[in-house]
Amino acid sequence: MTRTAIAPAARSFRAHRRARVRWGIALSAGLAIAVVVIFVLSMSVGSVTVPPLDVVLATIGSPTEKWHTFIIYELRLPRAITAVVVGLALGASGAIFQRLLRNPLASPDFLGVSSGANVAVVAGFVLWNLTGYQLSTAAIIGGFATAILIYVLAWRGTVSGYRFILVGIGISSLMASATSYLLTRATISDAKAAMSWLIGSVGMAKTSDIIALAVALVLLLPASAFLGKRLRVLELGDGTATALGARVTLDRLLLMLAAVILVALATAAAGPIAFVALMAGPIASRISPRADESIFRAACVGALIVQLSDMTAQHLLATPISTGIVTGFVGAPYIAWIIIRANKSGAAG
Amino acid sequence: MTSSHSLEVADLTLGYDDRNIVERVTTTIPAGEITAIIGANASGKSTLLRGVARLLKPRNGSVILDGKAVHDMRSLDVAKVIGLLPQSPVAPDSITVGDLVSRGRYPHQGWFARWNAEDDKAVGDALEATGTAELVDRKLAELSGGQRQRVWIAMALAQGTDILLLDEPTTYLDINYQVEVLDLLTDLNRRSGATIVMVLHELNLACRYADHVVAMRSGGIVVEGRPNEVITSDVVQEVFGLSCDVMPCPRSGTPMVIPLGRHHMAEREAVRAG
Repeated sequence: MTRTAIAPAARSFRAHRRARVRWGIALSAGLAIAVVVIFVLSMSVGSVTVPPLDVVLATIGSPTEKWHTFIIYELRLPRAITAVVVGLALGASGAIFQRLLRNPLASPDFLGVSSGANVAVVAGFVLWNLTGYQLSTAAIIGGFATAILIYVLAWRGTVSGYRFILVGIGISSLMASATSYLLTRATISDAKAAMSWLIGSVGMAKTSDIIALAVALVLLLPASAFLGKRLRVLELGDGTATALGARVTLDRLLLMLAAVILVALATAAAGPIAFVALMAGPIASRISPRADESIFRAACVGALIVQLSDMTAQHLLATPISTGIVTGFVGAPYIAWIIIRANKSGAAG
Repeated sequence: MTSSHSLEVADLTLGYDDRNIVERVTTTIPAGEITAIIGANASGKSTLLRGVARLLKPRNGSVILDGKAVHDMRSLDVAKVIGLLPQSPVAPDSITVGDLVSRGRYPHQGWFARWNAEDDKAVGDALEATGTAELVDRKLAELSGGQRQRVWIAMALAQGTDILLLDEPTTYLDINYQVEVLDLLTDLNRRSGATIVMVLHELNLACRYADHVVAMRSGGIVVEGRPNEVITSDVVQEVFGLSCDVMPCPRSGTPMVIPLGRHHMAEREAVRAG
């Protein structure tokens, strides 16, 4: 035996670590496969059913029947892609905020980032008659401006999680009032259009929005391994993180920037689809207690939630409804559950 | 590996908002020894430790590690030499012991460096030294207060620093766990020559376990030195505003502080009267 002896403690730790890594890889792969499967299935069902295999063939450009190409490319593929990219972005963004601020309620929905985007879009629509990509730009500017406002108001030499959340909830209510005010000033038809945007739906995304979001994801999701490493020390609190050599303020700013870019682009594309960012991270960590937390898995869970919600929204009732209505139905009981659980463990908040 | 690093505090002023908490403090931390910082609440003892750990920017003066101001060094370089256990460290709810302790390796992991055998060894040694090796798969939240504190110390040890700062490592622990933690820190100091600096509330334990005490009052150092030499009833009176007797502990020979209140002083009164 030429292997150097390893102390028993190091060996048992190594076994623990390797098991976690294996679980992590297996779960990530499983979730990614689930996203792909639902992606194909969501294009298969509809007024005309296209068998999954034919969906795949039509998607890669060799359809079994000519009309498959029209149905897939023109009708179903854009919607299916939107569900995936919007879901990935919301899931990743929510998980980053929740872990950074160490609070399961700290998702962009609650922190006012989405509601800032809402105000900008409704204002652009009602006051200045903006359309198309102008509205998407307004959503992005609104989201960013609100995020900066919250950061500045919550800043006291450092950012405390509670302060950030409380300021965020305050700003969020303020933005909701502003949105309501704008709606009362709008004509009925404008108000109706604005309301349907405010509920959020995968179906209304424009190609330009999807491309912007996809580019952001291609850049930011691979960065998530790198960001995740920093998140792992930042979530131990400023003191421990500083002692471990993290540049706390800079690292936190970078992570928040990534999260805000993702949520602003997703909101610009599909409106504020409620509760996805809130639910994805906790669900991802709940199904993988034996693996390290991962932004990638939270993103996949976000994608699955949006995909399944959109399929339900389209096919459950005779007339299709907005995706946001379905996520709202799932999300409301979820919040009640978080609060009940927090009270039970005596750690409300 | 005897600690060869020198740590000094030079003319350091620290504070929050518009108030200075620590005023122009100068001292040298003895290498390879256990230093306890003592003082009443709001004396600035935790603030001083936080300043040394870079959690606060100096308003004046500096913390000097091996001749260089720590605030001018790369954060990751300092993190390879100075470790910290904060007063109430926080961790995600569902974190396991193994996961938490492994995060102590952060300063040794470069941008793209992979986890290697040296990291496994450092974490294994830290778990072994703190007697937490059998807990690796357990969740931190499920452990007792004493176990949890040992796990946090293991995380700080996994960082592999020659200097370890601890902010009240025994506060909120039952007395048996307090002694357990201090024995553990003494083991570490004796075994590896690590320099240990801790803020301690418990005066008698500080006198027993520390080689060097730094007594603070209103942001300044009143006295520092070996407990046997500097802890007297006058010093305790000055630092804590407490009348007391100081006598050698019958077991350790270190100073033992016996507070004098207004009640239950019968024997002393009898002695005085007689």
